[in-house]
Amino acid sequence: MEDIVLKNLSKDFGTFRAVDDVNLTIKSGELFSFLGPSGCGKTTLLRMIAGFEVPTTGRVYLGNKDLSDLPPYKREVNTIFQNYSLFPHMTVYDNVAFGLRVKKTAKAEIKDLVKEMLNLVKMEDQANKYPNQISGGQKQRIAIARALINKPKVLLLDEPLAALDLKLRQHMLIELMNIHDAVGITFIYVTHDQGEAMSISDRLAVMNQGKIAQEGPPDDIYERPTSIFSAYFIGETNLISGEVKELHEDHLKLSCQDGEGKTFEIDSSFQLAPEAGAHLTLSLRPEKIAISRNKPRSQHDINILKGQIEDILYLGSHTQYIVRVGKLKFRVFSQHKRVYFDDKALDWEEQVWLFWHYTDTWIINDNPFDVLADAELDENGNLKRYIKRSKT
Amino acid sequence: MPKSRQALLVKRKNLSSWLLSLPTMLWLLLFFLIPYLIVIIYSFLSPDIYDVKFEFSLDAYRQIFSGDYLRPFLLSFKLAIYTTLLCLILGFPVAYYIARASEKLKNTLLIFIIIPFWTNLIIRIFSWRIFLSYKGVMNDVLLKLGLIHAPLEVMRTDLAVILVMVYVYLPYMILPLYSVLEKLDFTLLNAAMDLGANEVKAFFRITLPLAVEGIFAGTLLVFIPALGAYLIPQLVGNQSSLYIGQVITYKIKNIPRNWPMASALSLTLLFLVALLLLLMYALYRRRLAHRYKS
Repeated sequence: MEDIVLKNLSKDFGTFRAVDDVNLTIKSGELFSFLGPSGCGKTTLLRMIAGFEVPTTGRVYLGNKDLSDLPPYKREVNTIFQNYSLFPHMTVYDNVAFGLRVKKTAKAEIKDLVKEMLNLVKMEDQANKYPNQISGGQKQRIAIARALINKPKVLLLDEPLAALDLKLRQHMLIELMNIHDAVGITFIYVTHDQGEAMSISDRLAVMNQGKIAQEGPPDDIYERPTSIFSAYFIGETNLISGEVKELHEDHLKLSCQDGEGKTFEIDSSFQLAPEAGAHLTLSLRPEKIAISRNKPRSQHDINILKGQIEDILYLGSHTQYIVRVGKLKFRVFSQHKRVYFDDKALDWEEQVWLFWHYTDTWIINDNPFDVLADAELDENGNLKRYIKRSKT
Repeated sequence: MPKSRQALLVKRKNLSSWLLSLPTMLWLLLFFLIPYLIVIIYSFLSPDIYDVKFEFSLDAYRQIFSGDYLRPFLLSFKLAIYTTLLCLILGFPVAYYIARASEKLKNTLLIFIIIPFWTNLIIRIFSWRIFLSYKGVMNDVLLKLGLIHAPLEVMRTDLAVILVMVYVYLPYMILPLYSVLEKLDFTLLNAAMDLGANEVKAFFRITLPLAVEGIFAGTLLVFIPALGAYLIPQLVGNQSSLYIGQVITYKIKNIPRNWPMASALSLTLLFLVALLLLLMYALYRRRLAHRYKS
C-alpha cells in the first residue's frame, strides 16, 4: 500500500511558520481533506507534497519512497490548481496530452489515452477547443483529465471548486466523488469550505496556524470535536462551561452559572471520567436543541432550560433563534415542520423552553492536549479569537 | 423622431473625430506621402551630376536586378539577423528576470534598461569607439590582465558593428519581451512541472510559446532599423564592407550624384521590409488565430 506519510513536517517563510510539525498518514485510495481558514498552512502542506515547496524540516513519503528531495516532475503525484492553470496556447486535447508528450509516449497510445480521459470527464466533444472557449466547470474537468492521464498515485486538489458558482460547485463535488470511485487513487483535497470537506471526504484534518487541530471522519469531527477550534470551524455550536457536581456511571451533573448569579444544572454524557469539581466546557450543537413555548414533560434523560427569545433569523430551511438564559446566549436551529410543539410561530421576547437529550452534549476540554481551552468568547457566545496556543 | 436624432448624433460624432484627425492627416500627407511619391518618381528618372534629368529610365532597377547591389543587401540582412538573434538570446533572460523580480526591484531594473536612452546615440557610439579602439580601454584592460599579448583590432570591423548594434537595440528587445513575460501566469510553469516537464521542457513548451507576441514585437523593433542601419556601420564599421544604408547615402553624397539609384535602392529595401512584415504578420496571425477566436 502506498500511503502518504508526513513526518514532522514544517515549513517556515522567514519568521512565519506556515506548517508546524505535522505528522499524518493518508491511506492509499482515501479521499482526504485539509480544512482550515486561509493562512492555516493547508495549501503550503499540499505544495510540499507536490514538490513546489521544500520542507524546512521533516519528510514526505509515498509508501516507502522518500519524496522530500525530488522535483515535482519526478513525483507520482499530480495537482489540480485553484485556477486550473490550463495552458492557454494549447487545445483541450493538447492540454490533456501534455504529460504523455513530455514522457515521449507513442502517438497512437496518446490518442487512445486522451480519448479515454476525455470520456471519463465527459468532454470528448470539446477536444479541439481552446481553454478560453470553454466554461469554468469544463476547465475544471480538463484539469482533472490532464492530471489523471499521468496515472498518478495521488491527486492533489487545491481549492478546485473555489472559482465556480454554488450550483456548479455542488454538481462538480458529486462528479469528483464519482471520479475518485472510478480511478481509485488517493485524493488529497484542500478547502476552506466546511460543506465541501464534510460531504466529500473519507477523513479530514482541520488545520489551524500550521497545526492539525483534529483529524478523523467528518461525522466524528462534527459530533465529537476535540477542541473549541474544530467545534467552531465546522458548523456552529454552543459552549457551556461548568463545574462537575456529581459523577454517575453513564452521565455527570454539571453546575453552570448563568451570569446573573443564578446557577442551573445540566446532565451530560462523558467520554473520559473527569474528577469531581473539575471545570469543563461542553459543546452543544444548535440543531440538537428543541425549542417550545410549552414546557416539556420532565424526563430523567432530558435537560430543560427556560429562556427568552432575543433574536429570530429566518433562513429558509430552518430558523435560527438566539435565546437568552441569564446572560448566556443559546443558538437554536429549528426546522419548519407541521408536526411541531407550537401551534403559533414563536415571537421576539417570548419565554421559551429549551430541551435536549443529555447525550447530545460533548465535553471538549477533558482532552489534556486541547490547546484551545482559553478561547475568548464575545457577549453572544461567538468565538472572538480562535486560539491562544499553550505549550504542552 | 428619436431615430433621426440618433442619426444626427452619430453624424456629428463622426464629423468631430474627422476634424480632430485632420491636422495629423495633413502633416502626414505633406511630409510623408508626398515625399514618398517624389522618391518613387525619382527612381524612374535619369541621373545628372548634381540632380536628375526628367527622362524616364529603368536603369536603376535594371542594375539592382542584375545583382550589382546584392552584396550590401546581403550584408545588411546578415547584420539584421545577427543583431536580432543576439538581442533575443541576451534579452530574454534579462526580461524574464525582471518580470519575476519583486515589484520594487522591477521598477529599478526597468529604469536601468531605459537610462541609456538619456544619452545621445552619437555620443554613445563615440564612447564605443574609444572603448574598442587599438589603444582603447578594452585592449588596455585585456593586456594588463595578461589575457592577450597584442592589442585586438576590433574597431572598424564587422564585429564592432554587431557589438554596437546589439548594445543599442537590446532595450528594444527587452521591453516588449518584459511586457509579455510580466503577464505570464507562472503557475502554468508549476503545472507543466507537475505534469512531468523539467525546467527546460517547461521553458520550451510553455514560456517560449506564450512569449511569442513579445518575440514578434521585439523582432520588428530590432530587425527593421537594423536592416537600414547607417550611423553605426559608418562610425565603427569598415569601408570595405558597406551596408545598404551606407550605399544609399553615398549615392546622394558623392558627386556625381545618382538620385534615381538612391531612390530605387530605398524603395527596394522598403519593399523587402514590407514583404517580410507581411510574412511575419501572416505567421503571427496563424499562430494566434484560434486562440482569440472566441
